[in-house]
Amino acid sequence: MTRRQVRGALALPVLGVLAVLLLWGFSGLPPFGNFHGLYGQLLNHIALPQRHTTNVVAAVVFDYRGFDTLGEEFILFAAVSGVVMLLRADDEQEPPAAEVESPMLRYFGVIAVGVVLLVGIWLVAFGLVTPGGGFQGGVILASGTLLIYLGEGYAGWRDAIRSHWLDALEGGGALLFALCGLAPMLTGAAFMQNILPLGTFRDLFSGGLMLIENLGVALAVTGGFTQLFLEFMEETREADAPEEPGEESA
Amino acid sequence: MPLQAAVLGLAAVGATAVALCRNVLRQIIFSGIYGLVLVVLFVVLQAPDVALSMLVVSGTAYPLIVLAAIARTRGRAPEADE
Repeated sequence: MTRRQVRGALALPVLGVLAVLLLWGFSGLPPFGNFHGLYGQLLNHIALPQRHTTNVVAAVVFDYRGFDTLGEEFILFAAVSGVVMLLRADDEQEPPAAEVESPMLRYFGVIAVGVVLLVGIWLVAFGLVTPGGGFQGGVILASGTLLIYLGEGYAGWRDAIRSHWLDALEGGGALLFALCGLAPMLTGAAFMQNILPLGTFRDLFSGGLMLIENLGVALAVTGGFTQLFLEFMEETREADAPEEPGEESA
Repeated sequence: MPLQAAVLGLAAVGATAVALCRNVLRQIIFSGIYGLVLVVLFVVLQAPDVALSMLVVSGTAYPLIVLAAIARTRGRAPEADE
């Protein structure tokens, strides 16, 4: 028997055991569509009258469990900071000239950037009344900037995207979210207590403090993810033009 | 229900295609398509906010980071790829 056949023979019983375990586990699941989470059912009943938002997930993330989200915000912040510290090169090389030849790709890129950014802003703005929100909208805004890279190449992308602005966006968004937690305490309320007027039910501006928190998350996610893309794109650029071993300075 | 079963079946096919593909670049494209199937699955299962996150993560962020990693490793060790 070859190595490959031995591996296959060894894998088969393992896969069989896994399949039995999976079937056993699935057979114990409640019927499809049945949901027994009391917490979720409770929130579905109280979130609409209490917070005036139709997106109950947003009400949970930004209000009922807003403190958890603060932690998540700083996880993203720490992750992006770590990537930047690991990947950022010491020397700022001149980027290579734009190499995108196809006019169709350039036109498509320019048009699509506007459309995608608009979708992102829409998702952020309506985050509390539709399934969307700061995270989803922010990630879409960040990937919208990548279309500039597709259409204009690396140099055009670097012209449009400034790393310092991204730092400010990300840090500012996280700060805004933290301030949303601390500001109510100045008035004697609890941390992140929703002290702003809740607005009309189903209206765009409903949810009170959650609107500002949503904006903070959107800013932080946009800045953070674009910064990540920037750092990873720099990696590919260095691979395109590998440094000469003798040129490295101390 | 038949719609859910159909999309679940598509997801199974997509995952198998990603796993069986031997060319890395083609594998990224397959994983993007598989991610899109998962997006549809989330919509069908009435989780549109998860679908929105998945759309961007599987459509943009993940392929980009894998591509960057491939570009980087190929630049260092050209003889190591297939």
